[in-house]
Amino acid sequence: MNENGDRMSIIVQTIASILFPLALIFSFYVIMHGHLTPGGGFQGGAIGASAVALLIVAFGAKYVEGKMEEENLSIFESLGGLVFVIVSILGFFLAATFLTNFLVGEPLFGIIPAWGEAPLNSGGVLPILNLAVGMKVIGGLASVVLILAIASKEGEK
Amino acid sequence: MKKATAIAFIIFSLFLFFSAYEMRSFGNPPSEMDDRIIGKYNSTANKWEYGAVNETGANNAVTSVVFDYRGYDTLGEATVLFTAIAGVMMLFRREKK
Amino acid sequence: MMGLFEIAIILLSASMIASAIIAIWFKDLLASIIALAVMSLLLSLYFYILQAPDVAIAEAGVGACLTTAILIITIRSTERMEEGEK
Repeated sequence: MNENGDRMSIIVQTIASILFPLALIFSFYVIMHGHLTPGGGFQGGAIGASAVALLIVAFGAKYVEGKMEEENLSIFESLGGLVFVIVSILGFFLAATFLTNFLVGEPLFGIIPAWGEAPLNSGGVLPILNLAVGMKVIGGLASVVLILAIASKEGEK
Repeated sequence: MKKATAIAFIIFSLFLFFSAYEMRSFGNPPSEMDDRIIGKYNSTANKWEYGAVNETGANNAVTSVVFDYRGYDTLGEATVLFTAIAGVMMLFRREKK
Repeated sequence: MMGLFEIAIILLSASMIASAIIAIWFKDLLASIIALAVMSLLLSLYFYILQAPDVAIAEAGVGACLTTAILIITIRSTERMEEGEK
């Protein structure tokens, strides 16, 4: 450890601060295109949590905890689960059963794509569920890594 | 050791370039397995004959299986994740200042 | 007659088994965690070859990055060497 305490060198910090927004954008791309390309909520969430892990490695757990508190991450995760359950129950009330895809066939969200086309507003409720699961996985895995890093830092002293 | 690292890096990069070249174009189903799940398609008439795309509107058949046909599994997986993270938070909870 | 597919599968399987054995054999736990990450990366390539890109992305994200991060954080607050080796 150098005089900065938990931080790594300035090269690693610069590269991490360049790579972090790119990784978050890629994670959001994988989540939002889950119904068109390979990937989905869990995969994109794992990529976003890896971006947060990179930030923890470069800047130290204390700094990241000051920027994004673990309570906010926990609230983010619970919000994702709530959206999932609410959309599922809406399927019960607006259509046949629990988890029915009630938006498919609608003009705004439920376009059925032709061969070789990939419109973003297709798939009915699948993008919403992808977004919910992605929020859940990003919040959950990032908060686990953050909590473990802080706990191991406190255990060192 | 450095030579081995360089060789492994070069092989991995070559694999990534090769797989990016082999990737299907945007808008087609992501893999050959998706064609089997979706079923037969009629590319000359630009219309799916039957299968997951007509029912769910999603181009990716794996997502339509995971989130639509087998949505209960995804709900259970989300519950498992939530429980695991609640366990970790309970183990490493800190005192409020 | 073996095609490119079979050669790639045999090479990947051999490398995966080798890195798993290395992960058990090392006494330095940091090195064996790196060997586990290498095995996860090769497993994700295997999944990509077997036409499952979804599982490949999940394996590369969770197995090669997050598991490695959590295990390294864990050995930072415990001992680095295995028991009996000083």
